[in-house]
Amino acid sequence: MRFLVRRLGFLLVALWAALTVNFFIPRLMPGNPAESMMAKFHGHVNPVAIKALEVAFGINNHQGLISSYFEYINNTLHGNLGLSLSYFPIPVSTVIMRALPWSLGLVGISTILGFVIGTALGAIAAWRRGGILDNVLPPAFIVISAFPYFWIGLLCVWFFALTLGWFPILGGYTETATVAWNWGFVGDILWHSVLPAFTILLTSIGGWILTMRNNMITVVAEDYVKMARAKGLKPRRVLWQYAGRNALLPNLTGFAMSLGFVISGAILVEYVFNYPGLGFTLLQAVQNEDYPLMQSLFLLITVAVLVAIFISDVATALLDPRTRSSS
Amino acid sequence: MREKFKGGLAALALALVTSTCVLGPSVAGASGQVPLNLDNEQGMLWACSFNPFLPTSSPYSVGLTYETLDFIDALENAKVTPWLASAYAWSNANKTLTFTIRSGVKWTDGKPFSAADVAYTFNLLKKTPALDANAVWSVLSSVTQSGSNKVVFNFTKSAVPYFFYVAGQVPIVPQHIWSKVSNPVTNPISTPIGTGGYVMSKCTPQNIQWTANPNYWQPGLAQVKTVNMPAFLSNNTANEYLATGQSAYGAQFIPNIKSYFVAKKAGNGYWFPPVANVSLFPNLTVAGLNDVAVRQAISYGINRASVSKIGEYGYEPPASQTGIVAPTFSSWSSSAAMKAAGSSYDPAKAKSLLTKDGYKLDSKGVYAKKGKELAFTVITNGGYSDWIASMQVLGAQLTKIGIKITVDPVASSNFYSDVYAGKFQLAYNVETGGPSPFYEFRQWLYSKNSAPIGSAAASNWERFKSPAVDALLNQYGATTNVATQHSIMSQLQTIMVQQAPIIPVLEEVDWFQYNNKEYSGFPTPKNPYAQPALYNEPDWGVVLLHLKPLS
Amino acid sequence: MRLFSSIGNVLLRSFKFLRRDKKAAAGSIIMFVLLVITAFPTWFTPHDPSAEIYTPGAGLSWSHLLGTTSFGQDVFSQLIAGTRQSVMIALIVGFISTVLSVGIGITAAYSGGIVDDVLSLVTDVVLVIPTFPLIIVITAYLKSASFWLMVLVLVITGWSYGARQLRVQALSLRNRDYLLAARARGESSWYVICVELIPPMTSLIVANFLGAALYAVLTAAGLQFVGLGNINTESWGTMLYWAQNNEALSIGLPLWALAPGVAIAILGSGLALLNYAFDEIGNPALRPVSAKRLQKARA
Repeated sequence: MRFLVRRLGFLLVALWAALTVNFFIPRLMPGNPAESMMAKFHGHVNPVAIKALEVAFGINNHQGLISSYFEYINNTLHGNLGLSLSYFPIPVSTVIMRALPWSLGLVGISTILGFVIGTALGAIAAWRRGGILDNVLPPAFIVISAFPYFWIGLLCVWFFALTLGWFPILGGYTETATVAWNWGFVGDILWHSVLPAFTILLTSIGGWILTMRNNMITVVAEDYVKMARAKGLKPRRVLWQYAGRNALLPNLTGFAMSLGFVISGAILVEYVFNYPGLGFTLLQAVQNEDYPLMQSLFLLITVAVLVAIFISDVATALLDPRTRSSS
Repeated sequence: MREKFKGGLAALALALVTSTCVLGPSVAGASGQVPLNLDNEQGMLWACSFNPFLPTSSPYSVGLTYETLDFIDALENAKVTPWLASAYAWSNANKTLTFTIRSGVKWTDGKPFSAADVAYTFNLLKKTPALDANAVWSVLSSVTQSGSNKVVFNFTKSAVPYFFYVAGQVPIVPQHIWSKVSNPVTNPISTPIGTGGYVMSKCTPQNIQWTANPNYWQPGLAQVKTVNMPAFLSNNTANEYLATGQSAYGAQFIPNIKSYFVAKKAGNGYWFPPVANVSLFPNLTVAGLNDVAVRQAISYGINRASVSKIGEYGYEPPASQTGIVAPTFSSWSSSAAMKAAGSSYDPAKAKSLLTKDGYKLDSKGVYAKKGKELAFTVITNGGYSDWIASMQVLGAQLTKIGIKITVDPVASSNFYSDVYAGKFQLAYNVETGGPSPFYEFRQWLYSKNSAPIGSAAASNWERFKSPAVDALLNQYGATTNVATQHSIMSQLQTIMVQQAPIIPVLEEVDWFQYNNKEYSGFPTPKNPYAQPALYNEPDWGVVLLHLKPLS
Repeated sequence: MRLFSSIGNVLLRSFKFLRRDKKAAAGSIIMFVLLVITAFPTWFTPHDPSAEIYTPGAGLSWSHLLGTTSFGQDVFSQLIAGTRQSVMIALIVGFISTVLSVGIGITAAYSGGIVDDVLSLVTDVVLVIPTFPLIIVITAYLKSASFWLMVLVLVITGWSYGARQLRVQALSLRNRDYLLAARARGESSWYVICVELIPPMTSLIVANFLGAALYAVLTAAGLQFVGLGNINTESWGTMLYWAQNNEALSIGLPLWALAPGVAIAILGSGLALLNYAFDEIGNPALRPVSAKRLQKARA
């Protein structure tokens, strides 16, 4: 219990830090969204409109730093994220809610898949020390994990979409399809998600394989595993229930820790595929200098990672009796 | 292992391909007529906000749902077509403008439209400056209803050119709805009620659908029953949408348009009418560029035809130093100014101008005076690859004749703040222009549009200041006499040639693709009744009103 | 003197190890070649990388080994010219991050108590906040990051992982006999840390340097790819930006987009292979074994 309370405390501190960073970044830096909004209109809008935009966006509203800090914290905690500038006057929360399901579906599923498959492969590789998997997977994935995620995406686009024509080049769905809950549209979504999901899977899986393999190697050498083997338990049972379970614990923490990294890569994958999720929206917001949207997205991603870490902490506590008793 | 995985993916893909075949473009309307799909890539999903006063949402409502008092066509010499106002008249030394409001027009919710709505709309802008995107209240003093069908606009000074903004750009909204909107700036207006030929019938982030207004006040128009505008996140897919014939009306930049689009289907065509200049803005506060001879030499040193061909696939024609966009505004062109300008590309003249001014080629092949080389950096919008390519060509041309040019593509957001603040030596950019050359000249040259270096200038980025030019521009603003207007514009063109405060390079065009075997009624060079690009408000609404489905 | 001899010892062992370990050898060769290109790019560039003077969109040929861009630049020359920035970012960010990691990690472990608590908390917070979106937000406000700004941002976000690892390792060493003995002799903290504590951790520190360098290369490339770097500099990420912006893949110039990615992947692999090799020095159990030897051992 104490362990979980401590972790909860940590979660709150990290959250507060993210909020504070988020508050101060824009205030320390120059920039005027009205000007970049004009840039987006590419000269089709009367140049005097910039004055009206500045008024509409509330630029040049002077307020004390401390009071606006508390107002900001209060607003954020109440889910009041302000209005998006590029989608003005649509609230940021609406824009985010549109993008969220796409990212949850694509990044969420492929990250969990990557973790499960990678962990399993790593465990098997270590169990059969010197086997084919053990000799091939680590070096192969060392190399692959050093590739830029987005470039793997470009490669997939070029090979599977442009050269072979198996998959669509871009997007989360056929842009002109009727949006409805029927098999046609769901199939369309799945069809569009294959390449980006494959990209995320391919680049994230290596880390899990390597850490799991390395944990397993240490665990397999432990006495209780040798003991289990000596007792003549089925190898499969020893692999998953004795060694695997214990080797998984550090990997779970690793999962939480590197989740931020995976999400970073996924942002670029979404960008490459024009996938309408949070990452793509974030980069769109950057291009349009839509600061409220940008910051809210950063905050949302941070919260997601922190919550995932906390969940993995809970899982660790459940799986590992030691953390439950000691602090 | 991975081989098997790939095979599995292929099978999955195949299954999905077959399942997606049932998906076509949106369903046909009740009339059985195929909907018209528009191709207008904006790189974002739709906000489904239809506030006609905000530049973020007005492109999707003004012209189609909301209408203006008059329609003013830039391609026909600012020809005025009466729209919601049946007539207008200037009086009181061009300081009072009276509109007669059309009767028999109904809002799409069935309520009658009246002069009260017009007066309400303009006073709403007065009360809410955030909505006054065209700054009409910078020259207006009052707008009042007079009698049952007249609205009187009083100006603080004679401001004839503001007619374009007041009559042609401000959308009229219904008082009975807007008076109940608590915050008109932040209200998304998700069900817009206007007087237009189309009613926004469905909006999702992926598509906006409009249906023809059956009670539209101009009978016989709006024959296309259903119009879709899918949201495209990338130029790639939007171009493919046109090339595969799914859209009959596009506003896209397409490289190699002839083979990529025109050849694909009978009836496919394009027309890129020029509407403004893309110019080099020399920062007149920078040493060297404050010298007329240097600016003229730059202008003569540019082979505009070659810049157009290499940088823009020839889509954007070469511009003239007189500043007049041809052929759109050719009737304004001054033969005296043209003669003074002579050949637009004349490297020998460029060199002699510099020599006469005391410049000499130094050991590096660059003109210099008192040890100061003519070496400048031109900033351009890093987001537009065509502009960068154009500037690379232009830079090489000028460097060859002894004016060293470095091209600096600046990230889009940074570019605009640099241009506004005057933080550049040369900048390549475009002004909005208007329905006649005057608007672009005023944006370029009026000293009040400028600002000191470091603060933002909405236009006149080069920081040009000339009391004589200001006087000419003010004089134009005070007259409705066409002959006087032409004489003023001729004088301004001569100033453009003699002082070269701006160096026009290419002509900015409207991107416009069509298929005239599926729809008739598109604007053509012979019948340019409206600007054809889908991002021109209210023009695109006028075009849609005139389209007729064939077949 | 002992300091030098013990570091020398480690270096000697590393060198022997490089000769034996295939991954390490491959990584070293890659890094060596890239360092030579970084130092002398003009030996390899046949053309001016930024000159837009060749036939736009040309395919492979002897004069243009990787074809040209749609602006008429030589892709191969751009690739060579871009090497310097990526390698420099890797080395500089790797070095500064490692210094920070060592400083903070070891201070925390050595001091213990409240200092450890605070430093560990800061480390963990920096570690869990997703850095890439944060960097995006920061560079978006700064509107395109110059080289040194990018270095700064990458260092600020890149030190925490190493600091955490080093703290754990230092904690495990802190109470070893020889350290306690050195303290008992009355040696200064500096002496204990530099001479007794750090040398046994050398392989982990090197591995951390390589990890931070890899992180810097990939993150910088990602930022430049989305246009948040300085788009006028010659770097692989910037090449990818221009290629992507001009739809290189769709207009039939795949090499323009794929070649810089391969270059980043090669540099990344070099760093990753070395990193892994140094991990194995630190933890010999992870080394690859032949199945035969293993069977023998089991029997």
